[in-house]
Amino acid sequence: MEVIRNFPDSELVANLRAGKRMDETIKTIYRNYFDSLSWYVMNNSGSRQDAEDVFQEVVVAFIDLVQKDKFRGESTVKTFLYSLNRHTWLNELKRRGRALAREEKYENEQDRTAPDTGHLIADREGKEEVIKLVGELGETCRKILLLFYYEDFSMKEILEATEYENEQVVRNKKYKCLKQLEQMINENPALMQTLKNLLHG
Amino acid sequence: MDNSTHNMSEKLVQYLDGELTGAEIESLEKQLATDKNLNEELKSLKATREAVKIFGLQQKVAGIHTQMMKEMQAPVRKMSPARRIIRYSIAVAASVVLILGSIIGYNFYNLSSSKVFSSNYHSYELITLRDIDTQQVSLVEKAYRDKDFKKAVELFNEHSSVSIKESFLAGMSYMELGDNAKAIDEFKNVIAENEKNKTTLFKDEAEYYLALTYIRNKDYDFALVQLRIIKENPGHLYNNNISGKLMRQVKMLKWR
Repeated sequence: MEVIRNFPDSELVANLRAGKRMDETIKTIYRNYFDSLSWYVMNNSGSRQDAEDVFQEVVVAFIDLVQKDKFRGESTVKTFLYSLNRHTWLNELKRRGRALAREEKYENEQDRTAPDTGHLIADREGKEEVIKLVGELGETCRKILLLFYYEDFSMKEILEATEYENEQVVRNKKYKCLKQLEQMINENPALMQTLKNLLHG
Repeated sequence: MDNSTHNMSEKLVQYLDGELTGAEIESLEKQLATDKNLNEELKSLKATREAVKIFGLQQKVAGIHTQMMKEMQAPVRKMSPARRIIRYSIAVAASVVLILGSIIGYNFYNLSSSKVFSSNYHSYELITLRDIDTQQVSLVEKAYRDKDFKKAVELFNEHSSVSIKESFLAGMSYMELGDNAKAIDEFKNVIAENEKNKTTLFKDEAEYYLALTYIRNKDYDFALVQLRIIKENPGHLYNNNISGKLMRQVKMLKWR
């Protein structure tokens, strides 16, 4: 049986920054903040599905910002997430071309005490393209690259998780996969630029 | 891609992955400072690694998202018929308890001694005489029959020697006048006189009206004693007047 833990803000942020106990920490974010954040979307022309999609995007953005040290606890996690949620939803409404005057007015009159996270929401469409592109990579390559660059597995651990003969074979495969993905991205210079901007943004 | 380019590219990946030694790092960083193309290649590799990280994070959150949405919209488990019957029975029982509790609570807070008294009190009517003038009727009784209760108690107090009937009628007159203390004295007197004389003249009447006077006077313990005496005696004239509801009401008044 899963033991449900609730982390204080400081521990939650520390876990995300260090990539520790990620599943448990992300679940805590959902349990603590989904209801109140989804309420905002659903009360501003959004459906339940919209609220879910926006929240997922907010969680991804928040973790990314924490890991890039762009959230330094100037506000509470709740306030920060609320701001991200509002900007993400307003951006989505604009994208759909039906940003209502009410939302625009709200955006202009937003609470001045809330952190302005609008500039922190990095190129959303660019990220979507990146995700689509990596998804097009072969399954084996995707697995090796994810294990190495996202999960921080060692070559030895990857060898145990795959069926390759030895670490050198895994190393060679990983190199080829990385170069293959690099080439795929380079075929879309705008996308490569988006990624470089994300790194230095 | 020639061998040297391939080797350099591999070296850059190793550098990116933190697998080079101190001397190798120093040598490569010198090259990177001067070789613009090599530098661009490193940036390109870093961007590619970033793409993997973006994908990884999105996949991780997406997996947990699906799981959490299921958890947060947990479907109602289908109950077995037996379980459903038990559940509904408990719900019905709980509702009944709640309704009864509300009624009891409402009654409890709205109950008063005067309400209980007035819903049980009926003026005592003496039997009608065909020719009152030819009968030997005391002045107290006459005043009571005329419903002149004030006069009845005045006449009663003027006489030093009074009958049990006059004493009872004086008690009833005091009741009608709202003088609980004197009514209680007279009813107790009627009961005591009967006990002394081994008679039962107006005894049942005095016991019943004494109980009611106790209620109006908020002497609930005394009232309960009196009511029990009547209730436990099936031959008592007022036995049928002592309902369970009246007993409960007096008990409730006692606990308020």
